[in-house]
Amino acid sequence: MTWLVWRQHRVQLYLGAALLAAFAVLIVITGIQVGNQYHAAQAACAAGHGCRQLGGLFLGSHAVGFLIISTLGAPVLVGLFVGAPLVAAEAEAGTTQFAWMQSVTRKRWLTVKIGWMLLAAAIWGGVISALVTWWEGPNNAVQLDAFDPGRFDIMGIVPVAYSLFAVALGIAAGTLLRRVLPAIAVTLAGFIAVRAVVALWLRQHYMSPVTVFYNVTSGFTPPGSYWQLAQGGLGPNGQQLAQPNNTPYIDGVPAIYLPASCRQVSRGAFTPPPSCTQALSHFRAYLTYQPADRYWTFQGIETGIFLFLAAVLIAVAAVTLLRRDA
Amino acid sequence: MTAMHEVPGSALPGATAIETSGLSKRYGKVTALNDCTVSVPQGRICALIGPNGAGKTTLLRLLAGLARPTAGQVTVNGTTPRQDPAFLADIGFLAQGIPLYRRLSAEDHIRAGAHLNPRWDAESVRERLTALKIPLDRAVGKLSGGQRAQVALALILAKQPRLLLLDEPVAALDPLARRNFLGLLADGVAAGGLTVVLSSHLVADLERVCDHLIMLASARVQLCGDIEELLAEHQLLTGPRKDTTAIEQSQRVVQVTRTPRQTTLLVRLNGPVIDPAFQASDVSLEELVLAYMGEDAPPAIANLSTVGEEK
Repeated sequence: MTWLVWRQHRVQLYLGAALLAAFAVLIVITGIQVGNQYHAAQAACAAGHGCRQLGGLFLGSHAVGFLIISTLGAPVLVGLFVGAPLVAAEAEAGTTQFAWMQSVTRKRWLTVKIGWMLLAAAIWGGVISALVTWWEGPNNAVQLDAFDPGRFDIMGIVPVAYSLFAVALGIAAGTLLRRVLPAIAVTLAGFIAVRAVVALWLRQHYMSPVTVFYNVTSGFTPPGSYWQLAQGGLGPNGQQLAQPNNTPYIDGVPAIYLPASCRQVSRGAFTPPPSCTQALSHFRAYLTYQPADRYWTFQGIETGIFLFLAAVLIAVAAVTLLRRDA
Repeated sequence: MTAMHEVPGSALPGATAIETSGLSKRYGKVTALNDCTVSVPQGRICALIGPNGAGKTTLLRLLAGLARPTAGQVTVNGTTPRQDPAFLADIGFLAQGIPLYRRLSAEDHIRAGAHLNPRWDAESVRERLTALKIPLDRAVGKLSGGQRAQVALALILAKQPRLLLLDEPVAALDPLARRNFLGLLADGVAAGGLTVVLSSHLVADLERVCDHLIMLASARVQLCGDIEELLAEHQLLTGPRKDTTAIEQSQRVVQVTRTPRQTTLLVRLNGPVIDPAFQASDVSLEELVLAYMGEDAPPAIANLSTVGEEK
């Protein structure tokens, strides 16, 4: 059975391997440059030639940066081009009737096919994620944004789980619909929907976020790559401050709440006059966030969710295929 | 040159290759096969005949284990069709659309078969296709329909099954290729250990090689048995145009054709025909088949649109 799977999918395999290889070459070459840039900036900072540029440093070219961001879409590709046609293309062409009339049970046929496709998907997601994670190392150290939505999703172990989920979704859709194009459409829509729901709504609730209240004059920044969920100001009476767009902010406090002495000097670097400092000391701010040290816990939880979904989808596909008439 | 060899544990004398009782298959509200009871002894070549949508494909798929019956029993090679390598190894089923991987070559299919079957005579396929001048290395999708059918048939013989189920296998072949293939089947059966069921509309072809008949119409079995016996049981009665009630009472009339001057009756004999006005003559397989199709023509036609050719 493995020989047949290999023979049927070797073109896809070559194509996938070629894409991965090209991506790897590009990432390794530019990644080394990024590393050198980073170390140079660090050295400059250590030598006292200004560390401020380190914080705003954009490492690597914008083109590669864009490519890195676009790996958000890499997992769904295996779902569309490997998962969805796996059963659907054979059902559509009738070749299941060739395969199932050899001395191979449908269960074995499905197990071997799905097994290899899951392995391929895991390698695809894993290799891409490993390269991206390595390339982004210096950037993460500078920007401290590894936990942010959109960055969290392309690094670590979650891309492996996304890829497995995508291929399982494709297989299940193809098995249920028995047509390639509808299966591809359902896979694309389903993948985007589930990823969006999890990333935008569910992920922040994996663990209760931490909320810290602090004086606006002292300020507060959690250590490392934390994930900021909410931020705001509280007035002298503890009331929530509206955050209008059309006004300048001083220490995070909209100037409309502050005396005129603050407003006059609100542009550029300045030292607030004592009356302004006095007024500011009555304001407090809060920050709701997920601490940086929860990063791997969150990666694990999210991986677990998508692996569970993948397992359910594979089970649906298997039960459907084995119960249904061929 | 033949692809078939004696298979161990096969061909007990008098054993049945296929036995069904009350076999029914419904797809939703559509009954594709209804209360089908047939029996085919081992070593036969059985013709499966019936109008479009009569349930031929459904019956073959049930026998192959590709579909599960809604009701009734089916026994093939002594067991219920099931997902088991040993059962599957003994069955060769060729579906109507000649399902092959279009981008793979005949050689790829031969190698796949070698990986997927306990018995596999790869050399016989290569020899046969080479003799037919069919390229082994070209993608099957680029071959002509007839060549593709030859590839599929050669592959199914390489599996050396005990029961071969062929759904319209010769439709794509030219008359000579058709004759060669049917001859090959006859050789295989003569060598022992093989039983064949093949569906076709070409009664003349079937008549040449088949010795057993299953006839379906409107999802029901109309006839099943040894062809010679069936032919002997039926007679064509030709006589003047007159009242035929007496004959209809004593014989089972399958079909009545009346012209202004004479009446022709195709009857299944229950005893001797005593009416001297009628002359009895033997029927051909084609006449028999057409008569049974005709008997059922109204419901068969009414059902055509709904029953359809099963998937």
